Amino acid sequence: MSFQEIFLQQLFNGLLLGSFYGLVALGYSMVYGIIKLLNFAHADIYMVGGFISLAILKFFGGTFLGNAWLGIVTAMILTMIIVGLLGVAIQRVAYRPMFNAPRLSILITALGVSMILYNAVMVITGGEYRAYKTGLGYGGFNMGSVYVTHTQAILIVASMALMLVLHLFITRTMYGKAMRGIALDHDTCRLMGINVNKIIALTFFTGSALAAAAGMMAGVYYGSLHFFMGFVIGIKAFTAAVIGGIGIIPGAMLGGILLGLLESFGTQIPFIGSQWKDVFSFSILILILIFKPTGLLGKKESERM
Amino acid sequence: MIKKSWVLVIVILLLSVALVACGSKPPATQPPVTPAPGTEGPAFDGELLIGIMVPTTGSEATYGKDMENAINLAVEEINAKGGLLGKKVVTTTGDDGCDPQMASAAASKLVSSDVVAVVGGYCSGATLPTLKIYADAKIPMVVPAANSTKIAEENQGWAFQVNSPGYHQAEKATQWFATLGHTKVALVHQGDGFSEDLANLTKANWEDKGNQVVAYEVVNKGEQDYSALVTKIKSSGAEVVYWTAYHADGALLIMQLRQGGYTGDIVVGDGSSSDQLLEIAGQAGEGVYCTSPPIVDFLPAASSFIQNYTAKWKQSPGPYSGLSYDSANLLFSAIEKANSVDGDAIRAILVDTKDFPTLSGNITFTPELTLVNSNFIMLKGENGKWVLAE
Repeated sequence: MSFQEIFLQQLFNGLLLGSFYGLVALGYSMVYGIIKLLNFAHADIYMVGGFISLAILKFFGGTFLGNAWLGIVTAMILTMIIVGLLGVAIQRVAYRPMFNAPRLSILITALGVSMILYNAVMVITGGEYRAYKTGLGYGGFNMGSVYVTHTQAILIVASMALMLVLHLFITRTMYGKAMRGIALDHDTCRLMGINVNKIIALTFFTGSALAAAAGMMAGVYYGSLHFFMGFVIGIKAFTAAVIGGIGIIPGAMLGGILLGLLESFGTQIPFIGSQWKDVFSFSILILILIFKPTGLLGKKESERM
Repeated sequence: MIKKSWVLVIVILLLSVALVACGSKPPATQPPVTPAPGTEGPAFDGELLIGIMVPTTGSEATYGKDMENAINLAVEEINAKGGLLGKKVVTTTGDDGCDPQMASAAASKLVSSDVVAVVGGYCSGATLPTLKIYADAKIPMVVPAANSTKIAEENQGWAFQVNSPGYHQAEKATQWFATLGHTKVALVHQGDGFSEDLANLTKANWEDKGNQVVAYEVVNKGEQDYSALVTKIKSSGAEVVYWTAYHADGALLIMQLRQGGYTGDIVVGDGSSSDQLLEIAGQAGEGVYCTSPPIVDFLPAASSFIQNYTAKWKQSPGPYSGLSYDSANLLFSAIEKANSVDGDAIRAILVDTKDFPTLSGNITFTPELTLVNSNFIMLKGENGKWVLAE
């Protein structure tokens, strides 16, 4: 492989990995933006999404109207709805009663929800890896010198589309406007006649649905599921959200893709390699935070309390 | 009412039969310990407790259960023959979870429940910290699976490794690379004691033979995306990739290697010899080689063991079931010969083991308490199943 081929291939690898990070990071960022909560359970929502989509696919026999792709799309929509509702339920039961409590209490609750979720899945699945069979195969096409499988192409397109839809939703709709308003000031929004609790629930629905979509994509792409699969990606996605500027939607996407690219290229660079790639990417991220503590797209904000 | 009266009649009948049976026997031959109702078999003079230390939770739980089942089968068989030293053999299991901290806790638990000896140790990383715990308590330990050379180095004279050590496997692997006609090898491990050890040994062995290791890589446990690594391996010109860690992540790597267009050979180490690797990897698993410990399915001596195991546990034996069964039997024979439950006495007998016949060949220990002869075999994935490659 020539230098140029390697470069393009790693660029593509980084973009694909980064879009996974970005999708999960969005959920962290949205929830933090609106209620200043680090939702630790978010990574487990990602994992639950993977398992629920597998259950749905198995229920349909992997296809819908005899078509594998249609089956996957149907399963993804159903998964996003179910897991979105799960997110709303978690928010209603575990977080809403704590909104007026000190920040630390609700943080601990989030940790508890995370443990409940992954332990429940561990008990249900027996702690074993589950194969995720879709029958999509490795067919694909050459894009320049980079070989792209159909699965990879669709995953990139799908995650970009989801991010775009979310961006439009936040910037162009009344609900999005309400979300942005609540991020600034709960009480004023309430005075303006906005149902704050409803909008917070909607935020959890959207964030959880996106994480579920990412979880399902991970299942389809990597071919296996495990109850602890959310852990590593959770840490990385959270990092991505902070780097991009937590609470800022485009920042989460940017942070995710940046982290994905750093990891890919870190693996290829001599003397760094796979052993040191995390050290490499996180060192650069620390540097970014030193010079821009609010993240890449973050703005200085004054304390509002 | 009719039902009740029938029950009464049956009870009376049973009672009278029991009375007649008792009456016809002279009281002097009554066994000292009455067997529990419903169980038949020889009578025992107390119990002899054997500890089992395997992972029964976590990602390696499948292997742990397979080992526990095999040991309990050996126990059932020895009890059917009258137990050990007249005592009934019973077992208690400590879950090491393939984790050093959990393993230390499990070992302390076994020591404090006064086990005579221990059979166990699947993950080398988890087995290492327990060596001292057992040695301090003078409890001999037969290790069926864990085979890191670090165990031999840190052994305090109480752990007996029944699985061939890592360098036997590295040797088998490099022989196979040569058989396939390759000179450029990529090694991938997971940064834990076991897989890094095997990768290092293979690297040294391969380079000693005058060949080239073109990529030496590591992946983080729990990470799912190896695409960057795949690109690096492809660009290194490797002709064969040797994965030295466990099956769940191995399946991911195999799939992504094939998805990324890598067409060379793939060999995996014994931590990946589970059928689950082929199940998860699907079509990408076809033609993958595996340096494996002696899996009973391929051992002619093991057919009756497979039958008994399948009959008892309603599933086929796992990759380490045979060695676990061998370990238990080796230990039983040593306790019998020592004619004592004293740790020192049992250890002395185990040290002198010479050509002890097992399913996977004869066991003789080196002064480091590892096997003299390699027991590794080479497997190949075909139609979703491992078959013997040679």
